[in-house]
Amino acid sequence: MIPIRLGIVRLVDSAPAVVGDAEGLFAAEGLDVTLHVEPSWANIADKLAWSALDAAIIVAPLALAMSLGLREPKRRLPVPMGISRGGNSIVVGPAVDIDTQTTDATQAAQAFAAWLRGQRTPPRFAVVHVFSTHNLLLRHWLAAAGVDPDRDLEIVVVPPERVVDALDAGRIAGFCAGAPWGERAAELGAGRVLLGTSSIRPDHLEKVLALAPDWRAANRDAAAALCRALASAQAACARADRADAVAALLAQRLDLPVAAARRALPGGAAREHVRFAAAGPVPQDEIAWLLGEMRRWSWIRDHEPPPDPATPVEDTF
Amino acid sequence: MLADDDEHRARALVDTLTREAPVTVVGIAPGEMLPDAVIRHAPDVVLVDMTRPDRDALEGLRVLSRERPHPVVLFVDEDDTSFMEEAIGAGVCSYNVGSIANAEVKPILRAAVALFRQLQATRTALETAEARLRERALLDRAKQLLMRDRRLTEPQAHRWLQKRAMAGGQRMVDVAEALLGQTERKETR
Repeated sequence: MIPIRLGIVRLVDSAPAVVGDAEGLFAAEGLDVTLHVEPSWANIADKLAWSALDAAIIVAPLALAMSLGLREPKRRLPVPMGISRGGNSIVVGPAVDIDTQTTDATQAAQAFAAWLRGQRTPPRFAVVHVFSTHNLLLRHWLAAAGVDPDRDLEIVVVPPERVVDALDAGRIAGFCAGAPWGERAAELGAGRVLLGTSSIRPDHLEKVLALAPDWRAANRDAAAALCRALASAQAACARADRADAVAALLAQRLDLPVAAARRALPGGAAREHVRFAAAGPVPQDEIAWLLGEMRRWSWIRDHEPPPDPATPVEDTF
Repeated sequence: MLADDDEHRARALVDTLTREAPVTVVGIAPGEMLPDAVIRHAPDVVLVDMTRPDRDALEGLRVLSRERPHPVVLFVDEDDTSFMEEAIGAGVCSYNVGSIANAEVKPILRAAVALFRQLQATRTALETAEARLRERALLDRAKQLLMRDRRLTEPQAHRWLQKRAMAGGQRMVDVAEALLGQTERKETR
């Protein structure tokens, strides 16, 4: 049995790791996987960089940011597979008194932009990490409606498990966060789901598997086995008839609110679902889109070498 | 600035830091968000307990807001990977604020790493001791059960558990736990 330390964060899109562990899919590949539940994305990044984790399920732009050296320490992380698509919600608190019935991203953005124009100070909006799909999708959506995300509102970072409290306490006007936290906010009456991020960019790439570079170099076969096990787990997570069991596992292992998690899984009642049917190598067009958006906001600066979309991506399938 | 909710550890660290160098340590007000505290105090160094979920809020502060004057950058020493691994292992990290140099930050982080490790070791030792006590209690209860139900002497009961453990490739305490579980189920039926 090859020991692997796999880092995850308390989110619905960590389901393939939890299912792989609970159903013996890792063991079937000869892997002794230990799940490390980390409280922050920064921990995931640092532990991958300094050999305290061998692999992790990570938000895609953070893996890119590390590979490009936008976040120290610079590490060229192999990203052999996608884990999930979609699944984030834009949620607004009671202060944002606009209609949340529409599922059309453009209409929702126009309503939100009109509300923003009536505010005297830029309201605070939370995303879960600066280098996150949440931040990029929120900015993309706002900019399309003529909003300057750096001037018309203040984007702050609040960890996913704290966004609901922050909204409830009025410290933020809204947030963009992964499942189950949007559904959780709605369930507790702290806010309303304005939009799912799949309405902004259909089928957008969300979480990916990233490997510690040194570990990957010494464990190519184990890395491929890990991908196979996670792909089997993804297939199980993609099935609506398994969603009750998956939600129960997420509640048990990651202490997630079970009803909110269930709604965000396949066949659930949420507006936005996490989709796991994206097994396979990371799609290059999605990486290119993310890099383009990062350049748009000048995160990738002039002195940085022009990023090749394929740079951080390596195929182990 | 010190971001550590463990009061005991925080106090010990403040003592160490202020004793050895002309350092002023500030904290975070209750309910205050970590980046707001950084802006309010404008410290040179931020030491953060890595179990805090809000550490993410310090990442890319400069990217997030153009108005914030001070860049906040994770302390990274690529020339001393073992020190970095030690810090991560101890569960503490450090951010440089403004233009402070790594050379000034490292001794502060080093003191924090030493203290975090020391307390971690004490805690692990305590947990190990507690686990050992729990295991001994389990073994004693299983032996008493064997002495009652199978009329064995104490040394015989000990050997019974030992043999089972060896045959099954288990630890004695696992055998004891399984035995106690079985008996409990039988007796509650």
